[in-house]
Amino acid sequence: MNTSVTSIKLVLLGEAAVGKSSIVLRFVSNDFAENKEPTIGAAFLTQRVTINEHTVKFEIWDTAGQERFASLAPMYYRNAQAALVVYDVTKPQSFIKARHWVKELHEQASKDIIIALVGNKVDMLQEGGERKVAREEGEKLAEEKGLLFFETSAKTGENVNDVFLGIGEKIPLKNAEEQNNANNERESSTQRVDLNAANNGANANGGCGC
Amino acid sequence: MSFFDSLRQKAPFLDKLADSFTPTLTRDEKFRLKYKLPASENILDDTNAEVSYASSNEDGKGRLERANNKGRKTTYVFSGRLFLTPHFLVFRDAFDHSSCVLILNISTIKRVERSPSKSYEFALLVTLYSGAKVLIQFIGIRYRSEQFCNKLKSNLKENIPNAKNLPVFLETSYSEFLIAKNILGKKDITVPKAGLGQHFKYPGNPTMVKEKAKLRLWFDYFRENGRNLAIVQTLMFRKLIRIGIPNRMRGEIWELCSGAMYMRYANAGEYEKILSDNASKTSQAIDEIEKDLKRSLPEYSAYQTEEGIQRLRNVLTAYSWKNPDVGYCQAMNIVVAGFLIFMSEEQAFWCLCNLCEIYVPGYYSKTMYGTLLDQKVFESFVEDRIPVLWEYIVQHDIQLSVVSLPWFLSLFFTSIPLEYAVRIMDIFFMNGCITLFQVALAVLKINADDILQANDDGMFIAIIKHYFQTLGQSAHPDSSDIKYREITKFQELLVTAFKEFSVITEEMVMQARHKYEKGIFQNIETFMKRTQLRHMPKTFNLSSDKLSNIYDMFYQSIETYKISMGTGSSNMGFEVFIQFLSKFCDSCRPCEKDKEPAFRKQKRNFLQRLFNNWDSAHIGELTLNDVVTGLDKLLTVDLLQAINYFFSLYDTDDDGELHREEVLQLSEGLLMLTEPWKSGTYVDLLTKKRIEDDIAESIIKENGEETVTMNQIELPTGVTIDEEKYKAEQAERYLKAASNFLQRSFEYAKAVNLAEEVNLIDLSDDEDEEKHNAKLKKLNSIKANVALDPTHPKVIDLPTFRMIILADETYELFFSNTLRSSVHVDEHINVNNKNKVLRSMFDGILADGKRVAEQVRRRVDSVATRNSITSAESTPTTAAHSITTKEEKYDDLDDFTSEHQSEHEELLQSSWFEIEDATESNAMQERPFEPLSVSPSDKKSNLIEFEA
Repeated sequence: MNTSVTSIKLVLLGEAAVGKSSIVLRFVSNDFAENKEPTIGAAFLTQRVTINEHTVKFEIWDTAGQERFASLAPMYYRNAQAALVVYDVTKPQSFIKARHWVKELHEQASKDIIIALVGNKVDMLQEGGERKVAREEGEKLAEEKGLLFFETSAKTGENVNDVFLGIGEKIPLKNAEEQNNANNERESSTQRVDLNAANNGANANGGCGC
Repeated sequence: MSFFDSLRQKAPFLDKLADSFTPTLTRDEKFRLKYKLPASENILDDTNAEVSYASSNEDGKGRLERANNKGRKTTYVFSGRLFLTPHFLVFRDAFDHSSCVLILNISTIKRVERSPSKSYEFALLVTLYSGAKVLIQFIGIRYRSEQFCNKLKSNLKENIPNAKNLPVFLETSYSEFLIAKNILGKKDITVPKAGLGQHFKYPGNPTMVKEKAKLRLWFDYFRENGRNLAIVQTLMFRKLIRIGIPNRMRGEIWELCSGAMYMRYANAGEYEKILSDNASKTSQAIDEIEKDLKRSLPEYSAYQTEEGIQRLRNVLTAYSWKNPDVGYCQAMNIVVAGFLIFMSEEQAFWCLCNLCEIYVPGYYSKTMYGTLLDQKVFESFVEDRIPVLWEYIVQHDIQLSVVSLPWFLSLFFTSIPLEYAVRIMDIFFMNGCITLFQVALAVLKINADDILQANDDGMFIAIIKHYFQTLGQSAHPDSSDIKYREITKFQELLVTAFKEFSVITEEMVMQARHKYEKGIFQNIETFMKRTQLRHMPKTFNLSSDKLSNIYDMFYQSIETYKISMGTGSSNMGFEVFIQFLSKFCDSCRPCEKDKEPAFRKQKRNFLQRLFNNWDSAHIGELTLNDVVTGLDKLLTVDLLQAINYFFSLYDTDDDGELHREEVLQLSEGLLMLTEPWKSGTYVDLLTKKRIEDDIAESIIKENGEETVTMNQIELPTGVTIDEEKYKAEQAERYLKAASNFLQRSFEYAKAVNLAEEVNLIDLSDDEDEEKHNAKLKKLNSIKANVALDPTHPKVIDLPTFRMIILADETYELFFSNTLRSSVHVDEHINVNNKNKVLRSMFDGILADGKRVAEQVRRRVDSVATRNSITSAESTPTTAAHSITTKEEKYDDLDDFTSEHQSEHEELLQSSWFEIEDATESNAMQERPFEPLSVSPSDKKSNLIEFEA
């Protein structure tokens, strides 16, 4: 198991313009674009990292943030093993929205989903932006709901990789039993999903180079 | 006869067949859709005609004499159908609709004259503003032709004010500019306001796209066939669009094809007005727009400047005000940014309007149902047309919509390089939304070989991405034939899309949409409900089931509101609120008493108080959350809280005291609320207990002295209970409670504001003795009535109010139980309410069988000590088993002693309801209450019947 590649399906959720796509761009390409076009529907990217001599392939689903796109989200967080719920530390409304997402994930997503709460745009605090969501608030919510918590800046890259590493570390820990559970769960759901699960294995062996 | 029979037999099948077809549009709707005319246009008349169009001479003088005059430049005569609408003349060729379509806004008509013709012909010569002439030769009886002309004449008359706008409008048209500059030789003419491309360059290389040559073609076309508001669209017109509209011309042709031009002309000045009317306002849509302004085609240089951003802001904001139901949806920013490169703000605005309304309805709506629906439709097309690929996608669990959804939602603007995206838009505006499906299918088809190698979403996306980035490259780089090598991937895409997938028609899309609509709507509704329920305020007295039910009832009520009032607001107005509550609150249900105006007034008064109390934002409307919070308060299980809440409804100034008027209002409110119990429509716990007691009594009578254990107790057979008696008792109890309440209120009211109140009557300052006397007299008469006595104390505070309520058994019960249990938030409103109420009450008694049993035991104990009742004759054991016929009942009842006489007689009339066995109570719950309707005589039921 340790020599193979573990695929982690990860979904990003959060209010519009909090920096979801930017976090992904930083993580995948170590890049930043000031005025990134809003994500329409969803975007899909992958990135491999090595955590504790174990290769993890993140399959990242980046979703659109606007409220009315929320009805599409279940399509993307279906079967996700991890989720980043992102808010903007300078926008209190985005934190409320983050709460909603956490709630929705706990109710609708797979039971063992690892959720990381991410307060983004901390770079703006240095540039004279005013912090509107205290670090403690985020920490408190994370503690209450059992989430990982990070404050990041996609612009400077601060903490971005740690978010993914944190998730990656948490998943292989219970990898063996998790995978089994996941498989059982999938088998019991739909045929379509089941096929996917089988395919994941093939993927891991083949180690596609994207 | 047999023909009709066979038709009748086929009817169910035909019904089913009809289901699979699109809902039919009216003739006018179809007509408007086809020619993209504004909603105000409807067909006033139509006729067969031959039409020829002759452009003005280079010298500006009209040239056309007769179309068939020989020796001159050839003029085509088209034979087809001519339609007249309030502002348009539309002609289309009878044989090939696309070979000639003339769309003429009547504002462009300068003169109409009868054309010299043979006596049996009827012809009109129409001279246009541009100098061009249209000869219309009517085919058909003269009388009808005259009629058509008369209508045209009156339309023209009415249109005179509009026609005055024409010259100004034409100054904004690039086609007019081209003509003016090149034919009339006006060199100093200013270029009309156009898109950002004018200054910031158009996408693509101008020499590569042969801009000048294409412009020349369009110039020739306009000269020969007219332009903008008066144009003949021939096959050439479509061809010119297919080869790619020159950038300078693009805005106008998009505007023309989409019908936005007609909207802009008909609504001159509206765009600016919307902007100025809403200049200082803010909205959620505006916040959302601001977030995306800098994120709209950022690679295009104009959108890094304030000018470009401002134009984008204006158009998006104006649309959000124009159509608040849509507001702003991400992707609109990208689409509009695309428009604005080629169009002025106003042009882009109307283009966006028609895009949302005609081309992609529902795409940008709050639920995005149009987007979801078309994804489903697209999937079904893929399954149908490229089955191998579809199978593969399904097998590998690839989410097709991840790639295809942005194509549709942003009209390919985000996916394909701009210069190609606009080419697709050229065809999109001409052919409609089928273009999106055709191109999307072609993309998959062309890349099918590669996609069949992909085994996850990532690879799938990468293939498509790479394809779009290399659209300018050769489609056949390895071919030995140079011509073949020169074909780009984009050209290949267009050919595949519009040749191979020309099988995808408008009708197919409509049909497929119709087919999947229901499922999509259902999914959205489920999702919306789940989301809203998740974010409801915390409730203490409402379970999640109840919340779910309230949600359903709330939106069912709003739905009617929407239909009748034509609004899409999700808030509830007062009138709907009344309807809403009347569905599940016993006190608010329509009743006999509603006929009395005074009662109606009281009801409205109370409901208005409730409404105002719930209206947290003070906007005269309730949100779902308001209703939930309000019901939660109303349904508190805490007696004191319930009383406090009721008090607060009447203490509107929130000073903790109720003044005389408020007390009177409150008592009236109470009287109104308790009406259903007063009238005996419902039964409260006290009455229920009385009934239980009586049942217990009869059991004891039956069993006599024998010791009864709990287990042995069964409900007696055929106990009959006098309903009227209970009703009367209950009514009396409620009336008494009401009068006691009023009396006590004034008895215990505090004297605090005495002086003040007397002042109000103002005895002292009267200069006029007569008036003084009158007042004194009035005062005395008021004094006589304790309740209204102004010298008497008249303020009660909350503790007093609580005391007064608690002092009365009926009212105490009303607040602790009766009111709460009369609000049926857990029941579905579709079920017949009356039956439900009676049934639930009965279920209650049966469920509480233990309590009856206890009663019995208590009674038995006491009876045993008293040792009084022994007589077997007086027990109802021998009474009726079941009331199947009147006679049977009568016979059985004959056995009774005289004291039961009245009951028997009532039994003859009807039975209220009957229950077969306590053990079958569960089964009972599943059934509607049939016995009610089978009851022998009238509907008004008077007896309660128990049977073992």
